[in-house]
Amino acid sequence: MEYDVIIIGSGPAGYVAAIRAGQLGLKTILIEKKQIGGMCLNWGCIPTKSLIESAKFYRRLNQSSKFGIDGIDMKKVSFNWENAKKRANLIVKKLGGGISHLLKKNGVEILIGEACITSQNTVTVNNRNIEGKNMIIATGSYPKPVHKNVPKKILVELDKLFDLDQIPTHVVLTGHGPTVAEMAQFFRFIGKEVTVLLDHQFIIHDADPYLSDYLEKKLIEDQIKIIHTEQVDSYSNGHLIVGEQKVKCDIVINCNYRNGITPPSDIKIDTDDNGFIPTDDNLMTAIEGIYAIGDVNGKSYLAHAASAQGIWVINHLKGIKNSLNLKLYPLNIYTTPEIAQIGMSEAEIKNEGYAYKINEFPLSANGKALTEGLQEGLVRLISETKYGQVLGVQIIAENATDMIAEASAYMQIEGTVYDIAQTIHAHPTVSEIFMEAGFDAVDKAIHK
Amino acid sequence: MRYIFNFPDIGEGLDEGTIAEWYVEKGQQVSSGDALVKMETDKVVTDIPSPKTGTIVAIYGKVGETIHVGNPLVEIEIEGVEGEAAQEEAKTDFTTEPIEEGAGVVGTMEVAGNAAFLPSSTEGAAQSKDEENKPARKSLATPVARAMAKDLGVDINQVTGSGPAGRVIISDIKKFHSSFGQASMEKTIIPDQTELVSYEPLSQIRKAIARNMLESKQQAPHMTVHEEVEVSELVSVRSKYKAIYEEKEVKLSYLPFVVKATALALKKFRTLNSQLDMENERMIFKNYVNMGIAVDTVDGLVVPVIKDADKKSIFELAQEINEISNKAQKRTLKLEDMQDGTFTITNYGSIGGLHANPVINYPQAGILGVGRLVKKPVIKNDNIIIGTVQPLSLAVDHRIIDGGDVTRFLNQLMEYLADPISILMD
Repeated sequence: MEYDVIIIGSGPAGYVAAIRAGQLGLKTILIEKKQIGGMCLNWGCIPTKSLIESAKFYRRLNQSSKFGIDGIDMKKVSFNWENAKKRANLIVKKLGGGISHLLKKNGVEILIGEACITSQNTVTVNNRNIEGKNMIIATGSYPKPVHKNVPKKILVELDKLFDLDQIPTHVVLTGHGPTVAEMAQFFRFIGKEVTVLLDHQFIIHDADPYLSDYLEKKLIEDQIKIIHTEQVDSYSNGHLIVGEQKVKCDIVINCNYRNGITPPSDIKIDTDDNGFIPTDDNLMTAIEGIYAIGDVNGKSYLAHAASAQGIWVINHLKGIKNSLNLKLYPLNIYTTPEIAQIGMSEAEIKNEGYAYKINEFPLSANGKALTEGLQEGLVRLISETKYGQVLGVQIIAENATDMIAEASAYMQIEGTVYDIAQTIHAHPTVSEIFMEAGFDAVDKAIHK
Repeated sequence: MRYIFNFPDIGEGLDEGTIAEWYVEKGQQVSSGDALVKMETDKVVTDIPSPKTGTIVAIYGKVGETIHVGNPLVEIEIEGVEGEAAQEEAKTDFTTEPIEEGAGVVGTMEVAGNAAFLPSSTEGAAQSKDEENKPARKSLATPVARAMAKDLGVDINQVTGSGPAGRVIISDIKKFHSSFGQASMEKTIIPDQTELVSYEPLSQIRKAIARNMLESKQQAPHMTVHEEVEVSELVSVRSKYKAIYEEKEVKLSYLPFVVKATALALKKFRTLNSQLDMENERMIFKNYVNMGIAVDTVDGLVVPVIKDADKKSIFELAQEINEISNKAQKRTLKLEDMQDGTFTITNYGSIGGLHANPVINYPQAGILGVGRLVKKPVIKNDNIIIGTVQPLSLAVDHRIIDGGDVTRFLNQLMEYLADPISILMD
């Protein structure tokens, strides 16, 4: 065999798997149709977070005089879309270069082109036949198409956002999930009129309803219009007609929930109704030796879960014992304030039959948060009452997406509220709220 | 000087144990009384304390290995004791070795007091097989897995961890616990019946039971008195409180009443709560009542002890009986749970049987056998009615107790059981 592993797709599942394979001395080829890094690096996680950071910066200038800074005239301050894009692109370029370097350093061969699976262990790319002992499909996912009544001329797919020269005033977003919420806030913060056509009961379908409800209210507070609908009736004269409502609309951005992308194949690769490839516990498809990791297997839509699968599957191929708990990874939402969750929701905990309790601690009682002027939010710590094991943690805070890592670590080692309470947290830090919630669970919070 | 500490007889009549966990490692300072090692036998899990203050210079045996009583466990370097003083120090060990009160199935066992010392020398150290005796590490486990193992009586050192770096996680404990349950079941597998006879080695616990039963029968001339007491009132009291106790998650059987009544009767008839000390030609009367309860387990009979049974309420007794029988089934009884009994009750009636000739838990003075409750015609006020009858069989050491005392004791006991309110009134 020419290669030990053929990996199709270089997103956070594929490229991480490739690096790990290289580290373990497997002869590896990584095939990418577009750009190394996939959706996450090139059009998703990284550039959108960069844009969001620009918008947050812009928005905070409002408060400059309150923080003791004079001379900023908000009438003269404006958002420069081109420069914000430029900054995002520089970051993407830098990270992309880093990934390519790491792949090369670990002896991974990179091939740009579309792979077509021709048999259990062969693919063709640009008319070249490639043979490998194992094959890993890591081709990711793509937003479902928007409603057919939305005309193509006003429709923008997320990966084409950066092709826009300017953003018109009336922006409509469709779908549900973190992307909708994040992008809605982004456009709102840079001064656009934003409407969300929400096609799910909850804006974040896989978060605890407590967090989802909070976020929906928050968006409304930010003057984002939310219409619960899956239907668009028509478009005329710059307006979308949605039932009885007329929504001003210059542009529709597709943030719909996603479908799997399956590579072209001469052999039959089973998929479910949403285009996801079912796999067994070893992430192997119905075909011996062909694995599917990341978004494409439908187990998760998050980059970090995809990377974990990539590492896991290569270790597995090499016979290295490792464990993969796809029930335990953070769900991060990069809104203002940020929202993060790990573990089970309250409803799931109840369903499992646990005796549990919830302990909350607000940011408004936290010194560091007050100094930052970012005191909106709280931590919710859910634990079972027998051993005090932490079953779920939810954080609303400016830096919630970083803070959740502490909860992840406790939960990874099946930690308890006692462990949290007895871990001395530095003062002043926002993370102290976590310790306080721990104290509250064990007995009583100190500062509550 | 260097002191070799041998595995002592921990007083339960077993002559070997398995190392469950080392608490010390080579080079560690220990004080007299510090726990050195957790040893597991067929019946108990117990910590072995250090007899000396000093430095551990060698450890014998790895976790999982079996050590026979009298074989070395550790070597301790005792500082500042050399020459004659060392000789003296070593000698005192024979006399200061703690003599454990009889515990376990039946009777007091001989306690090993084999102490020895070696001169401090590099030669001695060289022989201590450093490589093979690397200190055992505390097993890696998550906080909840540890708590759950303790709860379920699982020895965490025996569990293979499936978490990162072999860490024992919750699911490992659950899996181990359920397969352990199955393992106990497997012990009842029907032996190969194609042969006319099959040979099986005696388990430690069976050997101990055999030895203790024989000693009891040889030393104590048994006398057994059988009686029957009508307990309809007790039946109604028990059925009334059964549901109330259940709400508090405590199972209420008749046994707590029998324990309480027996304990109170013993306070009145102290000869039954005593021990004969032939050697010193004296009687030892116990001014406390520690009630041994014989529990039938898959491995054999064990006798955990309820301390100060006379002072405990029916609720407390019910709770404790639930607790010790659970521990006995899971083999998590500690040595202290089985020590210092002053009288024993054997409740074979819970399985079946009316009367028996129970064997005294030597050197105690008596044992009460409790049979199965039966409905019988009884005569009350010259009328034949259906009564509920509790059969009792009391065996005593006839050297200590005469027939009159036995009967008087039984009468008192039966009064308590026939009229449960009197338990409170006395």
